[in-house]
Amino acid sequence: MARSRNGQWWMHLFLLAYVVVLLFPLVWLLMSSFKTNREITANTWGLPTSFNFDNYMAAWESANIGKYALNSAYVTVAACVMTLLFAAMTSFAISRMKYTKLNKAIYQFILLGLIVPPGALFIPLYRLIQGIELFGHHLYNTHWSLILVYCTYALPITVFIIYAFMLSIPNELEEAGIIDGLGAAGLFFRIIIPISLPALVTVFILNFIGNWNEYILSQLFITSESLKTLPTGMATFNDGYRTNFASLSAAVIISIIPVLAVYVFLQRQIIEGMTAGSVKG
Amino acid sequence: MNKPLKNPITYLTFIIPTFVLYAVFFVYPVIVSFYYGFFEWDGITEKVFVGFDNFTQLWKDEVFRKAIVNNFYFMAFSLIVNIPLVFLISIMISKIRRMRGFYKSAVFVPVVISTATVAILFGVLYNYDSGLINQFIRLVAPEEWAQEWLSNPKLALLSILVANAWQNIGFFIVLCLAAILNIPREIVEAAKIDGVNGWQETWTITLPLIRPVLFVMLLLSVSGTMKVLDIVQIMTNGGPFQSTEVMSTYMLKVGFRSMELGYGSAIGVAMFIIILVLTGILQRITKREEVQY
Repeated sequence: MARSRNGQWWMHLFLLAYVVVLLFPLVWLLMSSFKTNREITANTWGLPTSFNFDNYMAAWESANIGKYALNSAYVTVAACVMTLLFAAMTSFAISRMKYTKLNKAIYQFILLGLIVPPGALFIPLYRLIQGIELFGHHLYNTHWSLILVYCTYALPITVFIIYAFMLSIPNELEEAGIIDGLGAAGLFFRIIIPISLPALVTVFILNFIGNWNEYILSQLFITSESLKTLPTGMATFNDGYRTNFASLSAAVIISIIPVLAVYVFLQRQIIEGMTAGSVKG
Repeated sequence: MNKPLKNPITYLTFIIPTFVLYAVFFVYPVIVSFYYGFFEWDGITEKVFVGFDNFTQLWKDEVFRKAIVNNFYFMAFSLIVNIPLVFLISIMISKIRRMRGFYKSAVFVPVVISTATVAILFGVLYNYDSGLINQFIRLVAPEEWAQEWLSNPKLALLSILVANAWQNIGFFIVLCLAAILNIPREIVEAAKIDGVNGWQETWTITLPLIRPVLFVMLLLSVSGTMKVLDIVQIMTNGGPFQSTEVMSTYMLKVGFRSMELGYGSAIGVAMFIIILVLTGILQRITKREEVQY
């Protein structure tokens, strides 16, 4: 027994060292964000001599982070809700409705989307978005360009997960619903959706993190400063402030804090959601 | 009995939104990217049909070759450094009894931070004068050991690989750990009775039983490293002297900076085919055996 406890000591030591090396950069950045540029170089390791929020004020004002975060929130939530609704509808149709052959074909067709990396399609996608007009408005340089594309590329994995879940729901429940006089829409909203809630939450988180962090498409489709999302805005700020470490540190900290705050409260769901696609795949 | 579930109009209504989006933003770009690949086109003037010229040019393009090699460096680093480290740490977390939850949450922190932010963070860490890494080197070693991490062509790729690993390892640890903890206790107990020690247990029991998840990790690493983009674009954008160019950064440069849309699409098609072939080979090799407990 004593020997096995000894073994555990070494492992704790190793793991703690790993965690410290992994997370120290974030702590260091937090300390730097309160220092002046000169202090960062001269006093790299110490605590800041005073907690001044000048860097935060400068970053907040010049980087427009509040606006970017708002844009990101809007695009992310809209795309997630749309994905969830469309994917749930399609999954319901192909898992519960009685068109066996067609169901299978549609399912296979949608899964094709898991094979092709969107990264290979940037050029045609860009041309397409530039060419589309909806109700007299160009889609290019609007939030809708991102919402529609994010939604499309989230659909395959979302259908994949929700479909598997809906397939496992026993028939008796909807038969009872039919006897009670529910139509297809009623069955969907009153019976299938409530039962599928755990799967829906999982994919919502998966898509939320993906959309919130997406960078390249947002950089390609959005040119107006006021419409930029957080990752693109941060990258622009980075280009302008490469040498102004203090402000840069503050900006990075501002952009990380909301994510970490949510992570602290929802870590179990977030970890589960983000790994869901790969475990089941 | 099942009338509501056999109504073609309802069926269509439920499927059409997905279908329209999928057709417009996925199927159409896929077809078009193959089509563009056969043309020389700057996006403004008429397209000129050139047959397979773009693809033969790709074959001879020095920069594209360099880019593929760099993608393979990413893959090699992931297979040789990341995955063994992931396995080691997951094994340790699974063996200890206390603080398992803490370690799991802690290693996952970098995963939730956006790649753009990670790239900026590491830009700061790698800075020559005041970055954390050089300052640490100055603390323990002679001044000359401090490096221009991102502007030295010999070190830039390695620097990006480390940043990329920092962000991704936690995700794999959580996957791997879940698989290890899923192994039924009875198997391990039985082995212990047979006199198997800790090390042997890892090699002869854990490793074979988590094969499926190792396969998933391999697949994700291969496809992930072939399409890597964000972190490279923000940290170096392929520079210095194209020492960190990867396929996707090159594709974006060709497509959007030099406006060679046909050639850019051909790079996209090549990327897609490379990923398909590599993942196909992997599937062939491993044949997805199911593990039976």
